[in-house]
Amino acid sequence: MTIHTFSIVGKRSPRIDGKDKVTGRTKYLNDLKFPGMLYGKVLRSPYAHARIHRIDTSRAEKILGVRAVVTVEDTPKIPFGSYRSGIKDELIFALDKVRFVGDEVAAVAAIDEEIAQEALSLIEVEYEELPAVFSIEEAMRSESPRVHEGVERNIASHTVTVRGDPEQGFREADLVLEDRFETPLQIHGYLEPVGCIASWDSSERLTIWAPSQNPSWSRLIFSEALSLPLGRLRVVQTPIGGAFGGKLEQNLYLVAAILAKKAGRPVKMVNTRDEEFQTSMPRVPMTIHLKMGVKRDGTLTAKEHRIFADNGAYTKYASAVVNLGTYRVDGLYRLRNIRNENFLVYTNKPPTSAFRGFGNPQITFAMESMLDQLAEGIGMDPLDLRLRNAAEPGDITAHGFHYISCGLRDCFREVADVIKWKEKRNPKGFRRGLGISATTHVCGNRSFFPLFDGATAYVRIDEGGRVRVITGEVEVGQGLLTAYATIAAEELGVALQEVAVEAPDTDFAPFGLGTWGDRGTFIGGGAIRLAASDARKQILEVAAEMLEAHSSDLDCRDGKIFVKGTPEKTLLFSEVAARAVYTHGGSPVLGKGTFIPNSELADATRYGNVSGAYAFGAQAAEVEVDEETGEIRLLRIVAAHDVGRALNRATTEGQIEGATVQGIGYALLEEVEFERGVMLNPGFLNYRMPTALDVPPITSLLVETIDPAGPFGAKGVAEPAMTPTAPAIANAIHDAVGVRIKSLPIPPEKVLEGLKKRKA
Amino acid sequence: MKRSIRLTINGFPYEMEVEPRRTLLELLRDDLDLTGTKEGCGMGECGACTVLLDGRPVKSCILLAVQVNGREITTIEGLEKSDGTLHPVQQAFIDHGAIQCGFCTPGMVLTAKALLDENPRPTELDVRRAISGNLCRCTGYQKIVEAILACRRDGEKLDGKGPESGS
Repeated sequence: MTIHTFSIVGKRSPRIDGKDKVTGRTKYLNDLKFPGMLYGKVLRSPYAHARIHRIDTSRAEKILGVRAVVTVEDTPKIPFGSYRSGIKDELIFALDKVRFVGDEVAAVAAIDEEIAQEALSLIEVEYEELPAVFSIEEAMRSESPRVHEGVERNIASHTVTVRGDPEQGFREADLVLEDRFETPLQIHGYLEPVGCIASWDSSERLTIWAPSQNPSWSRLIFSEALSLPLGRLRVVQTPIGGAFGGKLEQNLYLVAAILAKKAGRPVKMVNTRDEEFQTSMPRVPMTIHLKMGVKRDGTLTAKEHRIFADNGAYTKYASAVVNLGTYRVDGLYRLRNIRNENFLVYTNKPPTSAFRGFGNPQITFAMESMLDQLAEGIGMDPLDLRLRNAAEPGDITAHGFHYISCGLRDCFREVADVIKWKEKRNPKGFRRGLGISATTHVCGNRSFFPLFDGATAYVRIDEGGRVRVITGEVEVGQGLLTAYATIAAEELGVALQEVAVEAPDTDFAPFGLGTWGDRGTFIGGGAIRLAASDARKQILEVAAEMLEAHSSDLDCRDGKIFVKGTPEKTLLFSEVAARAVYTHGGSPVLGKGTFIPNSELADATRYGNVSGAYAFGAQAAEVEVDEETGEIRLLRIVAAHDVGRALNRATTEGQIEGATVQGIGYALLEEVEFERGVMLNPGFLNYRMPTALDVPPITSLLVETIDPAGPFGAKGVAEPAMTPTAPAIANAIHDAVGVRIKSLPIPPEKVLEGLKKRKA
Repeated sequence: MKRSIRLTINGFPYEMEVEPRRTLLELLRDDLDLTGTKEGCGMGECGACTVLLDGRPVKSCILLAVQVNGREITTIEGLEKSDGTLHPVQQAFIDHGAIQCGFCTPGMVLTAKALLDENPRPTELDVRRAISGNLCRCTGYQKIVEAILACRRDGEKLDGKGPESGS
């Protein structure tokens, strides 16, 4: 299709779901009420590690209004885990032990929340407190208590990957640096608490309504945990009030299902914000030992990391975060000699899991900080060092990633230009500084589902010309529905408002792997482009007959179908659609598209081209440091991202801005305090996410490399946009006052301490 | 024991019997099905539950219904006109891409409306201060601030990045 000017792609069209959201019409999970619905509450362990000797629910059951009280005895007791981690260490309720403060022990369904809460307090649990482990060091001592039986030194997984010859690489280096970096837990902080409604019908089919990022996929895990055949399980995705990786599978949905079964009525459960903080599966904290070698001319020669990651009490996606998510950064620069060693360690704290970036923000903080240290060591400008080694189109990385489109150098150049890198880098002595950093990310990842990566979509056109996109992929707020409508509308030549996009209901939608791994636009959108193209072909065939022309002579634009070059021979899209339906026995026009990216399953050493396209970006931060107080004033962030093509400039910028601000929170503000497994600040007041006052101007630069495989050339941006922010800020602080902070977050105290050390 | 209260909500008068400890948020969402106002934390810390009380933003999750007896409440449902015309702030949010997941949006819009009603020409700092009690995790606030500034009474826009500018 040779369209040179787009009608909708590349513009700033308003989101298709904007009006409903801005008028309060959108119904999120907690806005739904079903007749006869009960309210459920979870009894959670107050101990970080304890044996359960006895649970007595008899008093709770007697409370007026209580309809069901459940414990592990009401479940099939089948261990489950996140798909593909290979580890199944969870049950719906604790069986013999609780392993973190917040672990599910029992649950109540009652006619209102208050009664359910009261009944919870009457469930008697006899605990025997056990010694617990709260840090990786503690957990790994051979004499320490085991979180899970049989797991030596609490090591859930230990992997080593070697590429090339790192020993030789270090020998060749003129400078070798070794350092240690710490990245913390981070809470997703989406505004909509997790919730669900579970209901069994008269044929023993379970339906779960939930704000799920992966309805089709999560069904597989629920089916196993509930011992329920897949065909009897339906997941309906409700509009999502933010997710960022935190709304994949939720144990809460399983609890609700068990309650609903016993009560014989639909059960709604919604987390309190307190529960959200305790159980929301936060970002995996890591201690990263990093060693890198560089030649005097700036060539990087080797890289070695040893990561100790905190799994928490059960294995969710931390396994993939640590063993896959920390590898992308190795392709940012042309590294051939690599050694990666990863330890994933159980502790008696909340299970950690997926959060935007998926390991990339953690390792990139370390590597991008060290790159500046190396640059200083060889007397080179940090930007020049990066440009010297930066990945290029056509590269095949040491892990086997094939970079087809790669705009990394353009991102560096644009950022440097806009922030005035050469002029404003700190001539020693001033308190202002600039820092730069970069990132690369997958656009989908073959590693997660062995059977396929890709997506299928349908584009349905009815007799009124109304277009409906049917997808299994998920809008989490990022604008995916609008992107899909844009693709279909552009392809069919209709207005954006004429296209509806359905949120997946697994009874009707194709199997969708879901929204994670930055795949929604590249993969999901790829399927929609193919489906719309298929529908367009069918429409044009009908129009050709009506216009007595050949379909290859026809085009569609602005809701009309016409013979190219002959404007009088025109039909309305809706006219043709009507004809198509009535001449095919009432069948709507149904375009089908299946997009399978050109990616492969990684081998046992994690080598392989796991994605069909890769995204790149660079960010620079300008800061001013107050040397009296250590306070960091962010003056500006400039972010350039290779997005392939921006289908909608407003939503693409919105992703960059939102991600960057999460990065600011990660870098400067957000910290969870634990004391013996108890979260001391489980609330928005004391866990400080950025407010409107914490954010400097953010300039988004969209670099368009027009990827050959992406829909209209589009790739992904949502995840990579968070990764470079923290290291850019840390590097800027160093440029400003010569203090290198190697642990996040960076409150004023750390800067002050660094300043003191520097003066000493 | 329930108490009688009278409220005006979005211009409509209501007479209700409520438990003394029922919050305004519960009354709006559960008793009146006005679910546009959201619960984000239940502790007055996120601003998702913001409604206007006699035109000023308040956090309805930490206000008791009995405390607002005789007062006027505006929720997000009360902003659009009966013919469907959106309030300028709502329209600006759509035009400037200031909505992502939408969960903070009702509270944010009402806070913005209250600001502009009181100060038709706020500075950027005025805007950021006003919405500093409304947390947003999706947008980074930039387009929200742009949208609110675009509603300044003299119609002065920022860098021309309005809708459909194709830039």
